[in-house]
Amino acid sequence: MTRCDPVTLEIIRGAARAAQAEMEALLERTAMSAFIREKKDFYTALFDADGAMAVGSDLPIFGDIVGPVAEHFPIATMHEGDLYWYNDCYGSRGAVSHSNDQVFLAPAFHEGRRIGFVMGWAHFSDIGGLRPGSISPDATDHFQEGIIIPPVRLMRDGETNTDLLRTFWRNSRFPTQSQGDTRALMAAVRLGERRLVDMADRFGPDVLSDAFAQLLSRTEATVRAQLKSIFPVGTTRFADTIDSDGQGSAPLTLRLALTRTPDDRFIFDATETDDQAAGPVNLLMHPDVPGMALGLYVLQDHPGQVLNAGGPRAIDEVRLREGSLLAPRAPAPLGLRGLTMMRLLAAMHGLVAVARGGEAPAAHSAYVVIALRGTADGKRFLLSDGIGVGYGARPFADGTDAVYFVAQENYPVEFMELTYPVRLRAYGLNLDSGGPGRFRGGCGVVREFEVLADEAMVAIRIDSVKNPPWGVAGGMNGGSGRAVLNPGTPRERILAPLSDGTMLGKGDVLRIETGGGGGWGHPFDRPVADVLADVRGGFVSNDSAARDYGVVIRDGTPDTTATEARRAQRPPAGLFHRREYRDAVA
Amino acid sequence: MPSPDAAPLIVAVDIGGTFTDVTLQDTATGEAWTAKTPSTPRDPSEAFITGVHLALAAAGRQPQAIGRVLHGTTVATNLILEGKTAPTALLTTAGFRHVLEIGRADLPRRDNLWAWVKPRRPVPPALVFEAAGRIASDGSELAPLDEAAVRDAARAARAAGVSAIAVCLLHAFANPSHERRALAILAEEAPGLALTASVDVFPVVREYERSMATVLNAAVMPAISTYIARLEARLTEAGIAAPLLLMKSNGGVAGARAIRRAPAQTALSGPAAGVVGARAVAASAGVADIITVDIGGTSADICLIAKGEIGLTQTGRVGPWPLSLPMVDMVTIGAGGGSLARVGSDGVLTVGPQSAGADPGPASYGRGGLEPTVTDAHVVLGHLPPALLGGRMALDRALAEAAVQRVAEPLGLEIAEAARGILAIADNTMVGAIRVVSVERGHDPREFVLVPFGGAGPLHGCAIAELLGITRVLVPPAPGVLCAQGLLAADLKAEFARSVAEPLDRADLLRLEDVFASLEKEAATWFAQEGVTATDQRMRRVALMRYEEQGHELPIAWQPGDEPARLGAAFAAAHRALYGFDLPEVAVEVVTLRVEAAGLLPAPARREPFGGDAAQAAIGRQRILLRSGAVEATVIDRGRLGIGATFAGPAIVTQLDATTLVGPGWTATVDPSGALMLARG
Repeated sequence: MTRCDPVTLEIIRGAARAAQAEMEALLERTAMSAFIREKKDFYTALFDADGAMAVGSDLPIFGDIVGPVAEHFPIATMHEGDLYWYNDCYGSRGAVSHSNDQVFLAPAFHEGRRIGFVMGWAHFSDIGGLRPGSISPDATDHFQEGIIIPPVRLMRDGETNTDLLRTFWRNSRFPTQSQGDTRALMAAVRLGERRLVDMADRFGPDVLSDAFAQLLSRTEATVRAQLKSIFPVGTTRFADTIDSDGQGSAPLTLRLALTRTPDDRFIFDATETDDQAAGPVNLLMHPDVPGMALGLYVLQDHPGQVLNAGGPRAIDEVRLREGSLLAPRAPAPLGLRGLTMMRLLAAMHGLVAVARGGEAPAAHSAYVVIALRGTADGKRFLLSDGIGVGYGARPFADGTDAVYFVAQENYPVEFMELTYPVRLRAYGLNLDSGGPGRFRGGCGVVREFEVLADEAMVAIRIDSVKNPPWGVAGGMNGGSGRAVLNPGTPRERILAPLSDGTMLGKGDVLRIETGGGGGWGHPFDRPVADVLADVRGGFVSNDSAARDYGVVIRDGTPDTTATEARRAQRPPAGLFHRREYRDAVA
Repeated sequence: MPSPDAAPLIVAVDIGGTFTDVTLQDTATGEAWTAKTPSTPRDPSEAFITGVHLALAAAGRQPQAIGRVLHGTTVATNLILEGKTAPTALLTTAGFRHVLEIGRADLPRRDNLWAWVKPRRPVPPALVFEAAGRIASDGSELAPLDEAAVRDAARAARAAGVSAIAVCLLHAFANPSHERRALAILAEEAPGLALTASVDVFPVVREYERSMATVLNAAVMPAISTYIARLEARLTEAGIAAPLLLMKSNGGVAGARAIRRAPAQTALSGPAAGVVGARAVAASAGVADIITVDIGGTSADICLIAKGEIGLTQTGRVGPWPLSLPMVDMVTIGAGGGSLARVGSDGVLTVGPQSAGADPGPASYGRGGLEPTVTDAHVVLGHLPPALLGGRMALDRALAEAAVQRVAEPLGLEIAEAARGILAIADNTMVGAIRVVSVERGHDPREFVLVPFGGAGPLHGCAIAELLGITRVLVPPAPGVLCAQGLLAADLKAEFARSVAEPLDRADLLRLEDVFASLEKEAATWFAQEGVTATDQRMRRVALMRYEEQGHELPIAWQPGDEPARLGAAFAAAHRALYGFDLPEVAVEVVTLRVEAAGLLPAPARREPFGGDAAQAAIGRQRILLRSGAVEATVIDRGRLGIGATFAGPAIVTQLDATTLVGPGWTATVDPSGALMLARG
C-alpha cells in the first residue's frame, strides 16, 4: 500500500474541492428549474472505491449513497461509462429522504481499476404526484409524492437508456425543466468523473485511495475527540416537539439520548420518539445522519477537515424504532421531512447544551416553503418559494437573520415579478422575531404577495409556531411564524401553518411571517448600544427593548436612568427558554 | 485631445501599497522610461506627481509634451475591503427596507452553517429609507412616487450626517422615471451630498445585487471625487493639460468625469490593468490564448483569455459583496507570496488565506515575522537571489529556515520537504482555480499559454504549468509592473445594455433593431463626451441568450441583418462547446442586448530590441534544492538578455521587479517582443 504523505493529502483535498466547485458551476449555469439555478438546491460529493463518502458537502443530511445502488448492481459488475440514478426513499433507507431529490452516481475508473464514485444531487421542482411541486401537506401516502425511481442504470458503457428518461419526463408537469435539469446533472457528474480520473493520473490510484482513507479516518478521529470533550460518560437527553403533521397527529416529540460508555463508545438512541405521523412530516432518517449532523457542528472549529462518512463512524451505534417519526414504515408520506430535519438539527444542539451547561447554539426555526400553483395567460405555473428564517444565537455571535439553509438563495423580488403572476408588497425582517439574549437570535422575514392570477391554490408550510425555537443559557425563545390572508382588511384570516388547497383569487394578499432563532445569554447583558442599533434598524421594537432587554428608549435615544433602574430588576434565568425559563424544552 | 505630434508622450501611473510606479513612453519612437517612488498613502497624489516628474527628468522632456495620463487606482477597492467607505444612506421602495440585510438569504456554500457570522453591511438598516410608489416589471407605473417621503428621507439622512445617498427602486431598469425624480428631489434637499441612482450605475434585474452596487458606488463617491480633484490639481499645477483617464474593472479606461459619476466601476481597476497588460505582451509575442496568473503578496488573480478576447462578467464580487458591473472575468484566491503556512491541532497543513501582509511580511524579510510564508519556502529552496529590488532588500535564509521548521517539525518532515509542500499546496490552490475558470469558459487549459506575473508569479509559472499539462509559459518583460503596461495598452471602453426577454424564434426583429439603435445612440453620446474621433470608434452588438428557463446567458455576436436561425445555431454551438451538450428541442430566449463600445487610443510604436546571449547574461550560480537533490542553477540577469538568447533550466532569472524560476526540463528563449518564452519537452 502506498502511503499518501500529509502534503499530498492536503493537495488531494484541495483538488477534490475544486472538482466539486467545477461540477457546481456547470449545474448552476445549465439547469433550468428556478429551484436549482436560482435557489441552488444542489450538492456534489466524491466517494472512495468502496463507496464511502470521502469529500461531501457541508450539509448534514446525507446517508449511504452508494449502498442502495450496489444492492441492485454489485460494484464489481460496474463499468466505465455507467451512470446510476435513484430517488427511492424507502428503497435507499433514507439516503434520499424525499422523492424530489434526484441522485446521479457514476463510478470512475483508472486504467480499468475502480477508483471511486461521483455524485450529483439536485431537487427537481416537479416529478408528478398529488399536486404541482410533488410535495403537499395533504399527502397521506408516499405514492402521492411523485414518481419513484428505484436504483437504475441510466447509462451502460456510455450508452444512455433514453426510454427511462422519457418515462421520467412524461411524469412531470413541467417536462422541459425536468429535461434540462436531468441533462445538467448528467453533464456535471461526467465532469466530476473526469476530474477523479485526473486525480488518479496525477497522484497514482494507490495514493488517491490512501488519501480518501485518511480523510475518512481523520474526520472520524476529530469528531470522536470533539464528542469526548463535549459529552461526559453517561447518557445525555434532549427532547423537542414538532407542532403538527397538518393532519391531526400532534404534538410529535423527538426524544434523543446520546450515551458515552465508560469505554468511550457513543450510542445515539431515538427509540423513544413518538410514532410516525399520518401527514408528510416523517423523516426517514438514515442511521448516518446523527453522525453527519454532530460532525458538522463539531467541525466548525476545524476548517481543514471535510465532512464525510467519517462523521457517522464516530457514532458506534444508532438505535431507531421502526414505526416512529424518525423511522416510518412505508408508505408513510415524507415530502415535508425538512421541517422535522431542522428540528432534529436544533435538538442535536440541545444535547450539547445539556452536556455543556448552555455552551451551544440556540434553536433555529425550520425553513418555510409556500407553493402557489395555477394558470396564468393560458400557461400552468408553479411557484415554490423557499423563505428564510432566523437562526439561533451562539455563545460568540448573534444568530443569522433571514437564512434558508447552506448555499440556498431566495428568489429576488424583481425575478419573482418577472417570472410569476405575483406582486411583492413587502419583503423585510420580522420585527421582534429574534429571541432576546446577550446574543440575539436571528430574525425571520415578512414576505407579502399579491396574487395576479385569476385563481391559484396555495400550500403553506410553517413549523415552530406553537413551539417556538428555544433560547439557551438565559437567552429567550425566538418568535413564531404565521400565514395571514388579506391582512388588515375585513377579509383577514389566518391560514393553518401546515395546509394545502386554499384557493386564492386575483387581488388576494398573502402575508407570510417566518420565525426567528432563540437567543443566547441573559438579554440584560446585551450592551445598550447593540439594543439601540437593533431598535433603529427594525430588528427589535421599543417595547421589547424595555421588556426583554431592560433598555428604555425614548425618542430614539436610551434613557440611562430608566435603563439602569430596569436592569437592576434582573429576572432570574434558566438553562432553556420557551415562553418561560425551564430546565427542559419538552 | 492634443494631437500626437504636439504631445507625443503618454504616462501611466500605478500606485501600489509600497511603491508608485510610473512609466513614460514616447508614442512615436516607443522609447520608455520608468520611475519608482515610495507611495504616500495619506495623499497618494503626492507620489503620483513626484513619480511623473522623476520620469520626465529621466527622459529629459517637458510636462507639456504629455498627451495622455493613465491611472489605475485601488482607492475604491481598498475603501470597500477595509469598510472605510463614507457614511451613506439608501432610498428604497416602501416595504423593502431590509433589502441589504436579507441579501440572498444564503450563506456561502463552503462555510459552516453554525460558525458563519453575517458581515456588516456597508449601509446600516437605520440609514435605509423607504418611499412609496411603484413601477411594475414591464415598466408601467402602478403608483406615483411619494415625493414627500423622498424629502423626509433627504432631511433624515442629512441629520444623520451621511455624505452620500444611493437610490435603488424596484424595476428601475424597466422605467427610470421614479429614480430620476427622486434624485432631483434629493439634489434640492441635500445639496452637496454625493448622489447616485441605480439606473446610472448598472440597470439590471435583481434588487439586492443592484442595491449593493448602487450603495457601494455612492459610498466611494466622496473619496474618489476628492481624489480625482487632487490629481487634476496636481497635473494642472505641473503644467500638464492632458486628459486623465482611469482604468475600469472592464479592462478599458474612461475619463475622470465618467469615473466621478460611477466610481464603483474602478473596483477591479488594478487587476484589470494587469490582465490587459498580459494580453498586450502575449499579442506582441503572437499568442492569443492565455491564462494569466497575477500573484501578489496576499492573493492571486486568475483570468482566461481565448482568442485575445477578455471576457466580461456581471457576477463579480468585491470582498463579501456582489458587484454586478461588467468586470474582467477573473477569480481571486487567497494565495500569494505572503500566505502563511500553518499546521492545525489535527495535523493538517494549510497555506493561506491568512497572510503576513506587508508588515511584518515573510520571515526572511527580517521584519519580525516568525511564521513561514510561501516566499520563505522559496528562500529555503534557493529559488530567490540573496537580495530583491536590485539588491536593496536582503533575504535572510536562516530566518526562513527557522520559520519553515515550525511546520516541518510537527509533520515529521525535513525542512526542504516541508518547503516543497508549502509550495505544492499553494500551486494546487491556483491550479484548482484555473480549472474552475476553464470549465466556466469551456476550455482545456492545456491548449493555453500560461502568463505568470506580479512579484511572485514567475516563481510559480513552471510548476503550475506542469500540473495543468501546459507546455509554454510566457514571462512578460517587466512582470512586476505589468499594470503600467496594461494602462499604456488600454482603450476607452463602455457597455450599454438593455433587458429585452424575447423568444428567439418569434423575436420581433424590428424592435430588437430599435433597441440596438438606441443603445448605439447612447454609445455615440459617450464617444462625444470622451472626445473619440469617428475613425477610432468601434462598436459591437452582442445578444445575451439562453435556453428558456435557464438562469445564465451566453454572449453571442449579432451581425447586421442577422437571422434567428443563424443566431440559434451559434448559441447551440457555444452551449455545446462550453458545457458538453445542447438541447435542440428547447426554445432559445434573447434576454439582454448589449452594445460594446471602444474608443481606440493610439498604440506606441515598438522599440527596437537589442542583442546579448545567455552566456553574457549569466552572473553566477546558486544551489537549489530539487526533490531529486541539490543542483547548481545558473543565475541570469534579465537586463542583459538579448533577443533570441536561449538557455535551459534549472535557472534563476533576476530583475528589479520579479524573479523567474526556470524549472528543470524547461528551455527559455527571449522572444523578439522581449518576453521570455519557456517551453517544456
